[in-house]
Amino acid sequence: MRTALVQGLGVLATLTYGGFIGWIYATQPRTLQEVATTAQVAAGVYEVDAARFQQGLELFRREQFRAARDEWSRADPAQHDPRTQFYVAYAYYREGWGRLHHDDALYRQGTLAVSRAIALSPQGAYVVDDPTLPMRTAAELEAELEKGVERTWSDLNPMRVLEPRK
Amino acid sequence: MSGASTAAASLFTRHVLLPLVLLTVALLGGLRVRPDQSFLFLAPPLVTLVMAALLMALFARGGLILLERWVSGRQTALANVSHALTLLALFFASAQAFNSVLPERGLLHWVFALFFLWTLWNDQFAPFDPYRLIRSLCVLFGTAFVLKHMLLASLYSPRVGWGRRLMGALLEGASLGTLDVAVFAPATGYVSFFTLALYVGALALVRPAPDEDGDVRRLLGEYRRLSTPERAALREALGEEGERPVRSRLTS
Repeated sequence: MRTALVQGLGVLATLTYGGFIGWIYATQPRTLQEVATTAQVAAGVYEVDAARFQQGLELFRREQFRAARDEWSRADPAQHDPRTQFYVAYAYYREGWGRLHHDDALYRQGTLAVSRAIALSPQGAYVVDDPTLPMRTAAELEAELEKGVERTWSDLNPMRVLEPRK
Repeated sequence: MSGASTAAASLFTRHVLLPLVLLTVALLGGLRVRPDQSFLFLAPPLVTLVMAALLMALFARGGLILLERWVSGRQTALANVSHALTLLALFFASAQAFNSVLPERGLLHWVFALFFLWTLWNDQFAPFDPYRLIRSLCVLFGTAFVLKHMLLASLYSPRVGWGRRLMGALLEGASLGTLDVAVFAPATGYVSFFTLALYVGALALVRPAPDEDGDVRRLLGEYRRLSTPERAALREALGEEGERPVRSRLTS
């Protein structure tokens, strides 16, 4: 009986540890902190740091977009929260927006962040409840960011300078 | 230690400790620490799987593992599953032990791989016993460790003096730039040393037959090395040893 118990324990421990090693090699964490974060995500207990998120939001409203993104990257290190990723994308949009010219590099990073927000939202369509933002759906933001990096004849339209930043 | 507790310890070692130690080797064998101290986990390249397969064949040939005793119809299904998982862990630990001492890319990766393959292939046809096999493996891994983590690492380290840097540049030039040695933090060498030590320690825990005490095989191996008169003398001495308690009981 005791032999079977030890054998069963051995099989269980080996399979669990083997699975953990496979997961480590598949996810490739770069630091021990990342190992912990990825494990939290896998276990379904991952939570965004609410205080840091709020600090990031205040910085965003004061137009300090880089600082805001920095706070949000600490609030959501696994990039696994759709709301944070939506705001990160919005910060890229606002920082990259210019009356005469848009920063393509920032817009592309914004597109990546909004794609993450869409992928992470349960129905694939993320909506944020923030009356201060003109664009409240991830689809709108994504379209705006994609439009910004496209090269079309309408880029030469002089009336474009009158377009407002959203 | 009483017989029961020794048996319990042996059972725990065989079914729990040994596979976990082997899996730790499999985990750490692919771990590299980048110069910025971040981790990189390298899955075993295909060539290390071939080497591990050759090494497993060598374990079976050399008598370190008697396969028919590890997985057999005479054992329970659970025991067979446990032993099969241990053998699988041994295979991956072997692959990752090679991965640990194999340069990651470039010409030296293939030079080291050929050196390992040639040695393992030659060993398939050499007479071996488990203890000589472990000793031979220690030398093989030790040599590769010194070459990779001490010699090459010191030549390509960004923090060395101009002499060694010049030597590295000359080597690169002589090899027409095919060496292409990956540079890692010194911690990689320490991890590799610990991994190899753990691997050799795990091999020492492996018994040819899982349910048999390791000393039996060792003594049998020693016995086979004796000459015919020495064997006869030993058998006679053992016979006397066996009769002694009977005689002492009769005389008392």
